[in-house]
Parts: sequence; structure tokens; C-alpha cells
Amino acid sequence: GRLLVVPMDGSHWFTMQMVVEKLIHRGHEVVVVIPEVSWQLGKSLNCTVKTYSISHTLEDLDREFKYLSYTQWKTPEHSIRSFLTGSARGFFELTFSHCRSLFNDKKLVEYLKQRFFDAVFLDPFDVCGLIVAKYFSLPSVIFARGVFCDYLEEGAQCPSLPSYVPRLFSKYTDTMTFKERVWNHLIYIEEHAFCSYFLRTAVEVASEILQTPVTMTDLFSPVSIWLLRTDFVLEFPRPVMPNMVFIGGINCLQKKSLSKEFEAYVNASGEHGIVVFSLGSMVSEIPEKKAMEIAEALGRIPQTVLWRYTGTRPSNLAKNTILVKWLPQNDLLGHPKTRAFITHSGSHGIYEGICNGVPMVMMPLFGDQMDNAKRMETRGAGVTLNVLEMTADDLENALKTVINNKSYKENIMRLSSLHKDRPIEPLDLAVFWVEYVMRHKGAPHLRPAAHDLTWYQYHSLDVIGFLLAIVLTVVFIVFKCCAYGCRKCFGGKGRVKKSHKSKTH
Amino acid sequence: DKLLVVPQDGSHWLSMKEIVEHLSERGHDIMVLVPEVNLLLGESKYYRRKIFSVTYSLEELQTRFRTFGNNHFLPGASLMGPLREYRNNMIVVDMFFSNCQSLLKDSATLSFLRENKFDALFTDPAMPCGVILAEYLNLPSVYLFRGFPCSLEHMLGQSPSPVSYVPRFYTKFSDHMTFPQRLANFIVNILENYLYYCLYSKYEIIASDLLKRDVSLPSLHQNSLWLLRYDFVFEYPRPVMPNMIFLGGINCKKKGKLTQEFEAYVNASGEHGIVVFSLGSMVSEIPEKKAMEIAEALGRIPQTVLWRYTGTRPSNLAKNTILVKWLPQNDLLGHPKTRAFITHSGSHGIYEGICNGVPMVMMPLFGDQMDNAKRMETRGAGVTLNVLEMTADDLENALKTVINNKSYKENIMRLSSLHKDRPIEPLDLAVFWVEYVMRHKGAPHLRPAAHDLTWYQYHSLDVIGFLLAIVLTVVFIVFKCCAYGCRKCFGGKGRVKKSHKSKTH
Repeated sequence: GRLLVVPMDGSHWFTMQMVVEKLIHRGHEVVVVIPEVSWQLGKSLNCTVKTYSISHTLEDLDREFKYLSYTQWKTPEHSIRSFLTGSARGFFELTFSHCRSLFNDKKLVEYLKQRFFDAVFLDPFDVCGLIVAKYFSLPSVIFARGVFCDYLEEGAQCPSLPSYVPRLFSKYTDTMTFKERVWNHLIYIEEHAFCSYFLRTAVEVASEILQTPVTMTDLFSPVSIWLLRTDFVLEFPRPVMPNMVFIGGINCLQKKSLSKEFEAYVNASGEHGIVVFSLGSMVSEIPEKKAMEIAEALGRIPQTVLWRYTGTRPSNLAKNTILVKWLPQNDLLGHPKTRAFITHSGSHGIYEGICNGVPMVMMPLFGDQMDNAKRMETRGAGVTLNVLEMTADDLENALKTVINNKSYKENIMRLSSLHKDRPIEPLDLAVFWVEYVMRHKGAPHLRPAAHDLTWYQYHSLDVIGFLLAIVLTVVFIVFKCCAYGCRKCFGGKGRVKKSHKSKTH
Repeated sequence: DKLLVVPQDGSHWLSMKEIVEHLSERGHDIMVLVPEVNLLLGESKYYRRKIFSVTYSLEELQTRFRTFGNNHFLPGASLMGPLREYRNNMIVVDMFFSNCQSLLKDSATLSFLRENKFDALFTDPAMPCGVILAEYLNLPSVYLFRGFPCSLEHMLGQSPSPVSYVPRFYTKFSDHMTFPQRLANFIVNILENYLYYCLYSKYEIIASDLLKRDVSLPSLHQNSLWLLRYDFVFEYPRPVMPNMIFLGGINCKKKGKLTQEFEAYVNASGEHGIVVFSLGSMVSEIPEKKAMEIAEALGRIPQTVLWRYTGTRPSNLAKNTILVKWLPQNDLLGHPKTRAFITHSGSHGIYEGICNGVPMVMMPLFGDQMDNAKRMETRGAGVTLNVLEMTADDLENALKTVINNKSYKENIMRLSSLHKDRPIEPLDLAVFWVEYVMRHKGAPHLRPAAHDLTWYQYHSLDVIGFLLAIVLTVVFIVFKCCAYGCRKCFGGKGRVKKSHKSKTH
């Protein structure tokens, strides 16, 4: 079949790329549409890659993202609102503007129209894929870790009860105290209120391209299949919809053997083994003071630490700590000598940790990372540190705890065995469902009828109102009848009393 | 591993049996708990049976089932329909209760089960005997279920079921309802709670006796995995939970070859082909007048009709109609010469019809059959007849319609291709999840935290009340302050007015 892919840049692409590669390998004609400037997109893809020019440079993108990630080390942005409208604002504005550039390229649009694709495979993060799907009226498959705001509820009609489903960024678990439930509600209400503000550029762009006013819900509701990088070993169980397919841990790959360089490091580590430390591909620098504290803590443990870091080398780096520009994370985590994993708790890293059964020390920075860390912590498989407040002692203690306290290893091994025990590999599942949508031109039989209801119909408010009106009418009539009956029966007395009163007056 | 199976006698057993046999082939040691008097729970090379005694005889069992089946042809007022249906169901349901009662009081059998250390329990929770037993034996459990009145699986599994687009059992509504239908659905939803109470409150008493503590039945269902015989080709899309696995069409297995007898019938049918007619394994007799009408209609079509019927031969049976005591339904439906399927629309038959792509004429009798028929009808893959009111002409027309009108064949073929296009066979999926529960001693990570909440917490009524109280307090205070402020500002005037008033008085 013919498939159009509209991906998202950055770490998002790592797992989506695996699916796209497999689809190409299976002989589908794949066209990937990307901006001409990007971090990761389009590299070494054996298919047609179409680029469109954009108005900003890679330096602009780098600067915005660095500002976003750097801010997290200095000033905390605790709520989704402060993050999305604070440090992340500029980054999102750049991202949302891509789609306008795509559609300004008339030749590209014409080319896409002529190709008669069977489906669109997209990352909804920058909204552009959704707009493309709607513009060309193509069935679509979403590939995502989750979506912002309440578009899982609105877009997929998936009920999400604030009583036990914690909101994104709330850092709550599925068991909340009364106070937490109140806050969870307030976050929900806040999301309702500010999301339209946050996404207004995206909606503007969409309305402009589609030449009709649209809402985010309009863009999400035609989606045929939602491939979600969720596994309920990590995520809390919650209501889901039949068109959601869970492929969490899609990156839990077969281990490859280590390169000589890393093999040497691991072998040299002796009985204590190694600790793997990476804050992900997106964070390149840490403020110097923080880096020194981290370096100090790492020097105090007997393990060898492999630290992926591209910033300036901290001056107090101990002998046991090896700085590398890049490391084969999954392969290292899979090595039996690996004792712990220091991670920013991005979802890819977390799933690799679960997959390989390595206890974690988590330093969440932004996005879903706080929530991921919270989930692993409640399952007793890791310790979370606050990057702003942590001292060298904190990090040292956290590392010693997860390494020496047997329960962490046991818990992560239990999660690992549950996670890996599945009837079908997530990658195969993802490929299957993309092909399914291509074969059948969507999956209309999985579309809930809830999409066709207004919000008050969905919640049966009209029915409740109607029944209430009936009950009240009946009560009213009965009451009136009784009152009338009473007056008839005791009519005499009543009148007597009245006249009595008027006399005393 | 050792698996205890607590089955539900009757047609429910048909699909469970297949899973059990498959598990046995994979080397598991399986014991099926069987009442000494039963219909279909025969001996088998695949499993051992543990037999317990019951208080009724085989004759009584057969009489009850026959009465239950035959009662569906009694004419009656539609207003009393639900009540009669309920009473009629109770003829059979009461017997299952007595059988459960006998089992839970049978101390010899219970201690035998205790001593046999099983790894898991596999049961049909329509009658919760197995559920109670799992609690008593402290075993992780897996349920195989199709759905029974009350939407048991969603009620007990905590999946939200908005009454606005999820039609309730027996309503015959689709997922697109008019206002009066939504109103009726809303009321039926309330009545379902009462029905649940009527059906299951007795079980709470015997469960409390056995477990020697106060038992609430829903609490026993919390840790299980639900294998549901659902497929959304047939079922309307709705919210579900992560611990629900969908196995609709598990009986759509590979076709066997027809025996010589049936092969001969099919070959003799010529270009017109055959029609397969069965009202399921539970209905043995049809009132004579009805049977004659059916026979007459069948005589009027050019196809050969294979009719599975164990009652008396109707005197007007035409030449093209062949009565058989049993027929290889799935194999016949899979034959390219089969033109239509006359069915009572039990879920097994419907799935076999979908699987083989045969348009259906449906004569629903009881249980989920009306709803099944409605679903196929809305998808344009069959015609529903009312068994009580239908005449020979109606049946004839219905048959000619589904055979000659191409759209029925096209629709059922489309459903069939969607239905059969799946990443993993339902039978393998069922086996996988039963083994999963045995391996991991249940699946606690799929248990939603909703089970730990009271109903008002679940719906956040306490939170809403609290927030409302705050808002009202604030409004009240603001109002009072304003009022006070106003009085201060315009105080003079007010007093003037008052004094003015008192003067005039």
C-alpha cells in the first residue's frame, strides 16, 4: 500500500522510525514529509523523503529547546500550564508553524494529492499530521506516548475519571487522598480553560489551511487507530477505547553485543559493576554547579559510571566516572553487570529500564517525565530526585539505595517479567494496525457513537432534566391536589381561624 | 500447571471447551468441576472431571430446559414480556443456583479441591459459583464471558458505560439512539441494578456462609482477567478496561471437511445452493402450528434447506427441506454453496455467520439474541423476524431478500474481512492469557484503582460538593461584603429613608 508519514522531530522519532522502517521493509510505498531542518528526521531512511522549507534555522530550534531544558535546572515549572506557556512556549510556536510552511509549498501539496495514499501515519505532537489527514481526507493512525490536555477524552471519547485517573503533570498516583483528588479536578478544569489558549496557534494554522474554522476535537475525532506507547506495567489501569492499541516497550529490543570500547569499560568495572547515566538525547548541558555536585556524588560510589554528557567536563570528575558523547543505552542496560540506571525518566529510557530489569534513579526534567518517575517510584522500582534541590548526598544515597536494597531489583525484575510476557511483540502489533487501516481504509467500526453526541447528550443531562421535570410536575400536582383536598376537608376550620385572627387584630 | 475449570453448562460451554482442550494439548493438567447431572459436560480425553452431586435429576434438568425453550413460542402481551422472560430464565437459573448451593456445601469435594493445589481457576461468571470458589481456594482467576443481563462485565469490571450511547441489554437499541430511546435506556440502566440484586443476592448469602465473613459479590471479581467473546465488528464500540481481552469469533476455527451425508446434500442442491437452519442446541421443539408455517415458507424457495430439528416432523414439509438431528454448522456455513443462514442469533451462530460471510435471517428467542439480531440488522447483514408474529410469507420474503439482494452479501463479506483480519487468533489469545494468569498468579497490575473507591468518590461527588461549597461560601462572603459596603456608602440615605418612613407612619 501507499503510506504517508508525518513524524515529529526529536526523541519522538526514535520509536516511530522503527515502525516506519519495518513498514518499508514489508514493501509498502512510504513517503515521509519533514521540514528541511531537523534534529533527527529522515536520516538513513530507505524511502521517499519529501522536505519543505521552513522559516527558521536549526540554531533557532536548538536555542528554544536549550532554553526549555535549561530552565528546568533553575526555576521549577510545576504545572502543565506554567511549562507550556513558560519556557516551552517558544519551542511550541516554532513547531506549530511547520504546517503552514508545508502547505505553502504548493508543489509538495500537489504531489501528495497525486499519490493517492491509503493512510497517514502521524505523530500528533505538532498537530500537522492531523491537519494533513483532514486536508486529504485520509484515514489516519496516531503514534504517541500520550496527548496533551484532554484530547484523549475529547478526541477518542475515552472516559477519564478524575477520581482515579491522575492528570498529566499532576504527579499523582491512581490512589489519591481527598486533597489530591480536589487538585486533580482543578488541574482538569485548568486544562479545559487554558488548552485552547496554548493551542491557539495550532488551531489558527489548521483553520487557515482547511479554510474552515476547526477545533482540536475536529482534528482528533476522525483518527482511526491510536497506537499508544503505554504498557500497564508502567501506566495505571484506566478506561480505554477499542481503537486504542498499546505498544509500550516497542523499543525493548534484542540486545546487541557491545562495541569494544564499552565492553572494555564494563569488564574493567570488577565485581561492583557499572551504572549507566544519561539524561536523554535532548539535554546536552547542565549548569556547572549542578554538574559538579553530580560528579561528586558519582565519585563516592564503588561502581564505574558511564555518563553520556556533551557539556563541559566537570573539574571534580572522579576516576570511576567516564564521560562519553554517546552510549548504546539498551545494550548497556541489558548487560548483567549493570547495577543501576540514572535517567531523566523519558518514556523510552523508562521502558528500556523495565525491559532490562535495571533499578532506576530518576531526575525528571519536563514533559511526562515527572509522571513516569512517580509511576516507577510507587512500584518500588526506583528513586526520584528533584534536580533543583538535590545535593551530592541525595544522589549518593539514592544510588546506594537502589543498588544495595534488594527490593528495588526484585520489583523491577517482576515488572520486567510482566512487561515482556505478551502474546505479540509491540512492533508487530504497530505494523499490523497501520496495515489494517491501509487495507480497510480506516476502521469505522471502531468509532464510538459518542462522537455524534453533544456534551449534554453524552452525559444524559437532557434525559435527567426531562425525568426531573416529570417528577417535579407530578410532585407539584400531587401537592396541589392534597392542598386542595385539605382545604375542602378542613375548609371550615381554616376560615374560622382566619376570622379569629382578624378579630384579635 | 494445574488449572481448575468451573464451567457453565449449556451453550456457554461450547467455546470454553475449545480453550480447555487447547490448554490441555499444551500440557496443562486440567480438572473440570462437573455437576453429576448435566447436559454437555461430558467425559473427554483432554481433562479429568471432578463430579459433585446435585439435588435434581436428569429428567428434571431436561424438563426445565425444554420448558425454558418452548416458552419462547408462547404468545403473550408485550408489556409483560420482560417479566415473563425473567420468570422463564429463572426456571433454569434457579437450577444453577441449587447446583452451586450443593457444591459449596459439599465438604468432601471442597477439601479435595483444597488439597489439589491449583495454579488458577477458569470460570464463566454468569453464575458466580466459580468466582466464590476462587476466593475460597485463594486462586487467581480468569473469566470467559459473553455478557448477560446487567452488563455484568462492565458493572463489575468498572468500565464506564455512558447510557447515552451504550445500549443496555434487552433494549434492542443501537448505539445511535433517539431521545425516547435514550430515556428508556436510562431507565433500563436503573432497573439493571435491581435485576442484579434479584439474580445474585442469593449468592452473597451462600458465599458469606462459605467464607465465614460478610461478602459483597462485586468485591470478589476485582482481581480477575475478563476474556470476553466480543468483537467490535459486531459489538458497538464503547469504553473498556485494560484487563479485558476480546475473543469474539473464537469458534470461527478452521473448517473441517463435510461428511459424505452432508456433502451429498450440498452437491444435490444445484445452482441454487443451500440454506442452513438451526435454532441452536438449546431449543429442541417448536409448537406445531409455527413449525408448519416455517415448513411452508421453506418449501417456497428454490434452495435446499438443511434444518436441524429434533421435534416432530411437520406434515407439510416440502421436498427441498431436509430435517437432521445435528449438522456441522460451521463447516456448512463455510461451504461456497451456502446462500443464507436461518439462526436464533445466539452469539456462537452469529460469529460463525460473520466468519463465513453468510447473510442471516434471524429469529431471536431469548437472552442476548434480540440484541445480537439488532446489531446484525443495523449493519445490513441480516433480517430479523419476530417468531411470535411471523407468517410463512414473512419468512419467505426475508429469505428471498437476503439471498437475492446483493447488499446483504456485500455487507456480511465486509464484516467478515474486518473480523478475520487480526494480529493473533482469538483461541491463541485466550490460551495465552489463561497461562499468563497461571504464570504470574493473576494480573494485579491490570486492576483499576476504581475498585477501592465508593460510588460517590468514583463519581467525584465529594470533590464537586466541596468545590461547590467553597464557591458558594466565597459568593456569600463577597455578597455580604458588598452589601455591607453598600450600606456604609449609602448608609446615610438608607437611614434617612427609614426615618422618613417612620415619620410617615
